[in-house]
Amino acid sequence: MPLNPSEVTSRPVYPPLSADPRAARHWLVLEAGSLDGELLAELHTAFAPVAARLQVCWVGTSAPPADWGAFTVLPDVAALGSVLAQAQPLAVNDRLCAQGTEPFVWGVAALAAQAGLATAQVQLAHAGSQRRRVWCTHCHGFTDDVTTSVVACAGCGRHLLVRDHFSRRHGAFMGVMVDAEQPGVRPAVQEVFP
Amino acid sequence: MSIAFKPDETFRGDYSVRNSDDAILRFPFPFPEDRYMYSVNMEPHDGQGPSDAYRHGFDVDEHYIAECRDRAITLERDPGRCQALPHMMLAQWDTLELLMDRLSTDYPEHFSLSKTGPDMGATWTWTNRPLGLEQTFVFGDAATLPCEPLEYITRQAQGDFAICDQREGTLFLDAGMVTSQADWSLDFNVGMNFMEWHGPVPLAHQAGVFERALKYLMMIRLGQPVRRLNWTMTVNPRLDTSPETFPEWGPDRASLNADNIGRKLHLRVELQTLWRLPRSNALLFPIRCYLASLDELVRVPKWGKRLYRVLGSLPPQLAEYKGLTRFLPTALDYLAPFDDGEPLPVGTAAGTERLTEMDRLSDRLSA
Amino acid sequence: MNGSSLTLRVVSATTLSPSLRHLQLASADGAPLPPTGAGAHVLFALPGAGRSHRNAYSLVNAPGSRSHYDIIVRRVAASRGGSAAVHETLQVGDTLQAQWPANLFAPVRGARRHVMVAGGIGITPFLSYLQDAGVRQAGFELHVCCREEERAVFAPWLPADAPVFFYWDADGHRLDTAALLARQPAGTHLSVCGPSELNASVLAAAATAGWPSAQVHTEHFGSGASGGTAFEAVLHKSGVRVQVAEDESLLDAIERIGVAAPCLCRGGACGVCITPLLDGEAEHRDHFLSPAEQAQFIMPCVSRARGARLVLDL
Repeated sequence: MPLNPSEVTSRPVYPPLSADPRAARHWLVLEAGSLDGELLAELHTAFAPVAARLQVCWVGTSAPPADWGAFTVLPDVAALGSVLAQAQPLAVNDRLCAQGTEPFVWGVAALAAQAGLATAQVQLAHAGSQRRRVWCTHCHGFTDDVTTSVVACAGCGRHLLVRDHFSRRHGAFMGVMVDAEQPGVRPAVQEVFP
Repeated sequence: MSIAFKPDETFRGDYSVRNSDDAILRFPFPFPEDRYMYSVNMEPHDGQGPSDAYRHGFDVDEHYIAECRDRAITLERDPGRCQALPHMMLAQWDTLELLMDRLSTDYPEHFSLSKTGPDMGATWTWTNRPLGLEQTFVFGDAATLPCEPLEYITRQAQGDFAICDQREGTLFLDAGMVTSQADWSLDFNVGMNFMEWHGPVPLAHQAGVFERALKYLMMIRLGQPVRRLNWTMTVNPRLDTSPETFPEWGPDRASLNADNIGRKLHLRVELQTLWRLPRSNALLFPIRCYLASLDELVRVPKWGKRLYRVLGSLPPQLAEYKGLTRFLPTALDYLAPFDDGEPLPVGTAAGTERLTEMDRLSDRLSA
Repeated sequence: MNGSSLTLRVVSATTLSPSLRHLQLASADGAPLPPTGAGAHVLFALPGAGRSHRNAYSLVNAPGSRSHYDIIVRRVAASRGGSAAVHETLQVGDTLQAQWPANLFAPVRGARRHVMVAGGIGITPFLSYLQDAGVRQAGFELHVCCREEERAVFAPWLPADAPVFFYWDADGHRLDTAALLARQPAGTHLSVCGPSELNASVLAAAATAGWPSAQVHTEHFGSGASGGTAFEAVLHKSGVRVQVAEDESLLDAIERIGVAAPCLCRGGACGVCITPLLDGEAEHRDHFLSPAEQAQFIMPCVSRARGARLVLDL
C-alpha cells in the first residue's frame, strides 16, 4: 500500500529504485515478503542492465522468486554486514539499493553507512507494510512494529502520539507523550500504518 | 558594567526567578505592531537595538549564574542535550574562541582571557569570576579541557547554541548545546539538514520562506553577524521546555486560571543570532532565551496593550503550533483591562524609563 | 570584532616566475587579522589605470594565521588591470583595501579522504588545504596540471613528503583522469580548481566514473567566462547606460562607469551580485539562480545579454 503523503518535510519520500549504469558494483537488498510479484518484475527489469555486476540479497525466510538469477539469502539485516565486509574496499562508485518496510530499509542504511558508503551511494524505497519504528522523545528508546496513531512506549510505558517527523540518523519517527497536558485523556487509537 | 546577579533563583521546582525592574525594561519585546506576521525579519547584530539586550554579541544579565546552574542540572539528568558529530571539532574551537573573546572584551570585570600567542597551539588562560572558574588550556587540544570545547564554554553562557555545517548546498545541524529550547529535541534533530529540521513548522513551507531563508543564511559573512526574534509562551519561568521533559511541564498548561495567570504565564522570547565561524566555515546559531511574566510585562503600558492586541489577532493555526490554545482566552481576559484602545507607535521599544508600580496594577485589575 | 573591510599593508612582494608573484600582507594597523579556514579567499581592491579593480585571490597561508595573509597572483596576459597592479605597481609598504575573508571552497569535514586536482594557478586554494590538520588527518592526494617549468615554482610551497603529483602536456606526463577517478574509496571527496576547461573535463570524468555529485566540488571564482558579444546595459535606478565591451563582464562595465554594485566571488557562485532584470533577455552563466529566478534576476559578474540590450534595476 502506498505511503500517505505528509506536509512534514522530514518524512522521506521514496522514488522507485533505479540502477546506475555508471556504477561499479550494485547491491540490491530486498525484504522477503514485502514485495509483490509486480514490483519484483519491475526491479528485475530495472536492474537487468547491471546484472553482471549485481549481487541480490534476499533477507528473510520466505523463498526468493524462482525466475531471477542467484540470490544471497540472509536471515536478517545484520547478516548484510558480513556481505559488505567481504566486498571491502568499497569504492565511490559502488551503489546499494534496498526495498521493503521502512524499518527494514533504514536498518540497511545504517549498516551501509557503517561499512563506509556515503548517503548518495544508497537508495531506499518502500514496499509492504507501513509499520513504523518509533523513537520515544522521553526515554529515547525505540518501539517497533507500530501500526497505530498512538502507541505505548516499549521503554517507559508512556502513550506516544506517532508523528511524521523522521530522523534518518535514528531511522525512526518521533513519538511524543500524547497526554502530558491532561494525563489519561487520550484520543482514540486508530490503525493508520497498516 | 556592574550586573546584580541573583545566583539562587530557580527555573524549576519553586520557580523563584523574577525579573528586576531593570531586567523588565531591557526585555527584548518582540512585537512592533498590533498584529503578528511571521517573517524572516533578519537584521544586522551590530550593537544597535531598542534595548540593552542587543548591545553585546552575547548578552549576560542578572540571571547568568542561575541559568548556568539550571543548565548543569539539565545536563546531569540528560547528557544528550549536548552533542557534536565527530567532524565538528574545528567548529567547536571556533565557537569557544568567539565566546571567550566576546565575553572578555564586553564584560571585563567578569571575564578575562590571556593568550601566549594568536594561533592554535597557544596556551590560553580563561577566568570566569561569577562562576568562580579558572582554566588554562591549549587552544586546539581538547585533552587540555575538562570536556569538549563546545560543552566547556556553553556551560558558561546563557542560551542554547546550535552549530550548522555548511555543505551540499544546505546546512546540517551537526552540533549543539540545547537546554532551554522551546520544544525541539537535539537528540532527534542532530544530523538533519535545514529542510528536515524545519519539517514540522506549519504555514511557511508553501510560501517558499524556507528556501529564501536558507539562501540568506548560507551567505552570512564572517564579521557580519545577524539576528532575529522568535517568540512563544511558557507556563512558569521554566527554561527546560524540551520535548524530553514534556511529561513534567505539560500538565502546567492546564493549571492556569484567572488568579494565577498574571504570575505564571510568561512571554518567551528567543533572540537568535547567526555568526559565520572563521576556520570551519560553519554557522553558529545562538538562541538566547528571555522570560517575562504577564504581570511583569504590563508594567510597561505599551507592551501590555500591544500584547493584548497581538494575542487577540493570532491565527488559530499559529496559536495551535505554539501551544497556546488552551489558555489563550484566560490570557486575553487578564490583559483586556490594560488596553485603553489608544493607537500605539510602531516599534518594540518600551517607551518609558519607569515601570507602573505594582499597587497601581492591582487597582487596575480589581476595577 | 565585527567588520567588513580590512586595510592591509604589503609586507613582501616576490616574483616567483615571469607570470607569478607572491604577496604577503599584514594588517595596516597591526591588529590581528581575522583567522581563516582552508579554501578561503579575500576580495582586494587593486589600483588600475583610471579605476580600481576588485579581484578575489585564494589565501595560501596556513589556515588560522592572524599575523599575515599570503597570495600568489598570476599575471593575466590581457589583464584589465588587477593582476597587472600586483605585478607592476604594488611595492612593499603600500596599503590595500580588502573585504573580510569569505570561503566558497571549504573542505568537506566528514570526508573519508580528499582528492584534489589543480590546473596551474588553481593550485592556490589547495596550498591552504595541505596545511589543514583535518585534511591531513583524513588523507589526501594533490594532482597538479601545469607547465613543466612551473613544478619548480610550486614545489617550495608544498609540505615535504606530501603526496603531490605533477603533470604537463608531454607524452608520458599527462594526467590520466579516468584512471585517477576509477576506484577511489567510498566517502572520498574530489575537489577541482583550474581553468574552466579543466574543471569541466574533470567533472565530466567524475560523472562518467559514477561519482555522486555531492562528493565533487569545484571553485568557480575568478575565471568566470567574461567575454561575448558587446551589448548595451541600461541602469534604471542610476539613470545611466553603458556599452559592455566584448572583453569585459557586465559587472566590469558597471564598475567602470562608477556605479556601485555589490559582488564577492565574481564567478557566478555566491549570489551577492544578484540584480533584478527589468527588460531584455539574459544569457545566464551563473551557478546560483534557479530557472524561476533566472526569469527575473541576473548575476552581472558572469552573465551577459542574449540580445542587444538589458535593463537592470541598479
